[in-house]
Amino acid sequence: MTWWQALIDAGAVPAAFVPPPASRAGLGSDIDAGTERADIVEDGELQAHPVPDRSAARVPAAVSFLAGIERWSVVAYDGVVQIVSAYVAAAIRRRDERGRLHTTRERSRAFAVAPLQRMKPALRQRLEQMAPDLEPMDGDLVEQPARYLERVESTVRRVRAGIERELADACIAGLPPEEWLVLDGLLSRSPAVARHPRALGVIKSHGAQFLEGRGLERALTLPAGHRTSVFAVRGGHTRTEVYSWYLRLWPWEGNDLLYGLLRVEARADRETVARATELSGWLWAERAPLATPATRWDRLLYPLHNVEEYLSALAPRQPQLRRVSRLPKTGT
Amino acid sequence: MIARPDKDTPPPTPIGRVVATELKPATPHQFHFWTATETSIGIGAIVKVGGDGTGEAGRVVYGVVTDGFAYSDLATPLHDVVGAEGDPTRAAAPTTRQEIRYWTAAVLRQTPEEPLQPVPLGQVYLAADADVAQALRMDTFLYSATPTAIPIGLYTSAGHEAPVYLDADFLLGPEAAHLNISGVSGLATKTSAVEFLLGSIFAHFPAHKGRIAALCFNVKGPDLCFLDQPGDLSDEDRERYQRLGVPPAPFERVRFYAPLKADGVNLNTLRTHPDLVSDVEPLTWGLQEVVDFAEVLLNKDDIDAKADAFIDFLRDRVLGRTFDDGFGGTHRVQTFADLDRLFRSIFDGLEIASGGRSGSDTWRTHHIATIRKVRNRLLNISTRCKGLVTDDGPSSDLPWKEFTDRTVYVIDIANVDPLGQDLVFARVVSKLREQLERRELGVDAVVVFVDELNKYAPGDGSETYVKKMLLDISERGRYLGMALFGAEQFRSQVHRRVVGNAGTQLFGRMDMDELATPGYQVLSPATKSKLATLPIGELMVRHPHFTQPIFVRFPKPPVLRGRDGVGRFPPAADVPFEDAVVRQLVRLDRRVRPNQVKDLIAEREQDDVRRALAAVRHTRPDDVLAYFRKVLGSRVVPAPALPQEQHAVPPLHTISDEPY
Repeated sequence: MTWWQALIDAGAVPAAFVPPPASRAGLGSDIDAGTERADIVEDGELQAHPVPDRSAARVPAAVSFLAGIERWSVVAYDGVVQIVSAYVAAAIRRRDERGRLHTTRERSRAFAVAPLQRMKPALRQRLEQMAPDLEPMDGDLVEQPARYLERVESTVRRVRAGIERELADACIAGLPPEEWLVLDGLLSRSPAVARHPRALGVIKSHGAQFLEGRGLERALTLPAGHRTSVFAVRGGHTRTEVYSWYLRLWPWEGNDLLYGLLRVEARADRETVARATELSGWLWAERAPLATPATRWDRLLYPLHNVEEYLSALAPRQPQLRRVSRLPKTGT
Repeated sequence: MIARPDKDTPPPTPIGRVVATELKPATPHQFHFWTATETSIGIGAIVKVGGDGTGEAGRVVYGVVTDGFAYSDLATPLHDVVGAEGDPTRAAAPTTRQEIRYWTAAVLRQTPEEPLQPVPLGQVYLAADADVAQALRMDTFLYSATPTAIPIGLYTSAGHEAPVYLDADFLLGPEAAHLNISGVSGLATKTSAVEFLLGSIFAHFPAHKGRIAALCFNVKGPDLCFLDQPGDLSDEDRERYQRLGVPPAPFERVRFYAPLKADGVNLNTLRTHPDLVSDVEPLTWGLQEVVDFAEVLLNKDDIDAKADAFIDFLRDRVLGRTFDDGFGGTHRVQTFADLDRLFRSIFDGLEIASGGRSGSDTWRTHHIATIRKVRNRLLNISTRCKGLVTDDGPSSDLPWKEFTDRTVYVIDIANVDPLGQDLVFARVVSKLREQLERRELGVDAVVVFVDELNKYAPGDGSETYVKKMLLDISERGRYLGMALFGAEQFRSQVHRRVVGNAGTQLFGRMDMDELATPGYQVLSPATKSKLATLPIGELMVRHPHFTQPIFVRFPKPPVLRGRDGVGRFPPAADVPFEDAVVRQLVRLDRRVRPNQVKDLIAEREQDDVRRALAAVRHTRPDDVLAYFRKVLGSRVVPAPALPQEQHAVPPLHTISDEPY
C-alpha cells in the first residue's frame, strides 16, 4: 500500500491531478528566468562567430552528461489542502570511446509534499507515519490552489536541483584528466562545478535576458553553426560568476527566434574565451543523433536526452498513469 | 555422454531478461527477452528461463531462439537523415544511439509440465549440456536403464558445444522411424550426414535392440564407393567425434555390389581401381530373380488383368518346372534364353495349328497379344539391363539370410538404366522386407538409404511400383525393423506420405524457393534465413522428442568422399575380355595364373566363357581353375532350380489420399 492510499483510507479525498506540461515546463534546473547582468568579455561588442564543422570538431574522448527529471501530482485532498506525491531523479551517464553511454552515478528521491500544519491531526499523523520522505511546505497559500501548486512546483524543482548539484559535485571531485562534464542546465549553481575547467552547462530555456539592443538582436538572429561572443554572467548571491555564449544548432528561419538556440556556460576564465569556438564546434557536432522524439529536440543534446530517458525508465509510473484519464487503460 | 547436472556447480551468469507487454506477452509457448548488444547468442540458441535463485519457485522454461530484432530509439529514419544533414559520408555522431537486441524464443519444455503456464518474466541463461538434454527431452532416453541415444551432432552456441542425441526407438523403430534429409546439392551435407549418422548408429545402437546393418543404394557418381577408406579429418573434427563418442574411423565392414557392364565381365562401377576392385561383388540376376518383380517392368498401360494372369501362370506353372507346351515340346525354363525358346515354340505352334488361318490366337486361355506383350517386356529387360540381368547362367546376389551386424551393403546402380534401377530397388527392398518379417535376414534392423527421393517417390506423377514400395516402407517399415533414410534436394517434391512418415527430419542448406513452399510455413523468417545460409556440416533437426527444430553441427564423415576417392583411386579402364575374365578368377583364387586362363578361353565363344565364369562365381569351388576348365569344357548346364520356396511378394496397398 502506498502512503497516499493509506491517507485516503484515513479519510482524505482521492485526487488525480497532474499539472499539464505547459505549467510544469519540464525544465527543472534548466530554468533560466529574470533579467541578469552580463558583460562582454570577447570582442568590443557582441559578434557572431562561425564554429567548426562537425568533421573538424574536437570531441573529447570521454564525457559525462548529467540531467535530471521531476514528476509530481496531487494525490489526495484534506479539505482544500493539496497533498502531493513527487519524484525527482538525476543521473550521470558517461560516454566511452565507442560513443556508448553508461550510468556512473544516479540518485532519486520520492517524497510527499504537504503543509503539515494545515492538515487535520489524524491525517497529518497518518501521513507522517506512512510517507517515507516528507517535504513540508508553508501553508499560507493553501486557500489559493493555483499559487499553491506553483510553490509545489518550485519546491520539487529545488529538490531536483539539489540532487543534481550533489551529483555534479561528486562527479567533479573525481573527474579524470581530459574528461568533461556537461550539465543540463545552469553551471553556476555549484561553485565547485562553475570553477572547474572541464565543465559545461547547457541551457535550453531563455527566460533570462542578458543582452539588450543590438547585442540581443545578434544573439537571437544568430545563424546556424555560429556562436556569439563570450560574455560574463554575474548572477545573484546563489550564483558563481561564469562565462557564457549563445550557440545556434539549427536554422531558426521558418521557426522561431529560440529555435535551436543554446546558451553555454563555462568557468569564468580567459581560457574559456580562447576555447569558446572549439567548444562550440564540439557541441555543434552533438546535434547528431537527433534527440527525437523529445519535443525540444532542436536544442536538447542526445546524450542529455538519453539520461532523461534512462531516468524515466526507472521512475515509478503511478503519477503518469493518472494524468490522462480515469478510464481503464487498455494499451491496445 | 552428457553428465548429470552437478549441484555444486556455481550458478551461471544471466545473459538476458524476459520482457512482456500487453501487445507482446509471454505465453506458454513463446516468450521475448532482451540481451546486451554484444551477445553471443543467435538464432537457434537454446536458453533457460528461471531456475534456482530467480524467485520463480522452481519453474524452469527452456526455449530456442527463433527470431531476433535490433532497433534503436530512432523515431523515424528521416531523423537520421536530418542528423547527418543528408550526407551519409559525414563524420559519425559522437554518441551511439541506445539500441536493443530483442529476441523471440519458442518454448521447448517447461518443468514442471503441469500446470502449463506462461513463461515467467525471469532472467535468461544460456543452456549448458544438462540443460540441452532437459530442453530436448533427451533425459528420458539418455539416462534410462536401457539408453537408446544415438548422437546426431553438437548443438553449438556462444562457444559452447553440447551433444544432441536422437532416440533409436524413434529413429529406427518401433515407436517411429525413418529419416528424411533435404538440402541443395553440392554442399556435401546430405550424403555426409548420412555417412556420419550410420557410423554413429553402428557405434551406439543399443545391444538390447539386437543387430543392425545398412543397405545403401549408390545412385549417382562415386558417392558411396569408398566407405571403407579413411578420409582426412581435422583436429576439430576429431574432437567432435570424441565429444560424441563415435570412433573417427571408416566402416569396418563394407560390402560392395555392382552389376556388370554389357560385356558381362567388367564391373559397372567407379570402384574399379586395382587396389579396390577385388572387394566388389558382381550383382547379376537371372529370370528367376526378375520375374517376381515383372510388375516393375510394366508401365501403366501394360498393367491389366490379362498380363497379370499370364505372368502368374508363368511364375506358378512354368518357371523351374518341366513343362509341356502343348505342341509336343517339353521345356524347363530357368533362364531368359529358355523363356525365349518357350515363347518361340508357342508362337510357332500356334501358327502351325492355325494353318495360316486366323482363329487360333489363344494358348492355354491366354491371348497371343498378351503373350507377345509379356514376352517383349520380359526379354526387353535383359537387353536394356545387360550386365545386371543375364540371359543365361546363374545369378550373383546379395547374401540373403546372411546379413551381418554393423555391416554396410552398398549397391552401386549409378550407371544402370533407370528401369534396371527400379528393378534393383524393388527386388532388394522386397527381399529385405520378406526376410525381416520372418526374422531370417541375419540382423534385426536394416537402414535403407536412398538418395534422390524426388525421382523415386515424387509428389506427383504416376504410381510406380517403386513409389508404392517406398510408401509401404514409410508406413509399415518401423514394425519390421526397416528404416528408410531418404535424401532429396526438394522435400516439397517428394510424396507427402514418404516425408510425413519420417520421424526424424534433417535440413541442410535450403533453396529460398523451396523454403517459400507451404511445408516450411511453420518456420520463422529468421530460421528460414539461417537455413538458406547454413554452412557445410550444419543441419537443422526435427525429431519427435524435440518440440522445435534444433541446429546441430556434425563432424566430417571419417570416410573418403566420393570425388576424393575417385582422385585417390582412379577407376581403371575397362580391360579386354580375356583380362577381365582373368581378373575375376584371380579375385576368387590367387593361385590362378593369367596365361592358363587365356589359353583356356582362346577361341571360345564369349557367351560360353561368361556362363562358365558365372558358374564359378556361383559355386565358389576350392580349385577355381579346375572347375572353370571343367564347366568350360562342355556347354554349361544351367544350374538346377534352387530348392527355395517361392514367396510371392505381398500385394501393396494402392496409393490413397489418407493422411499419414
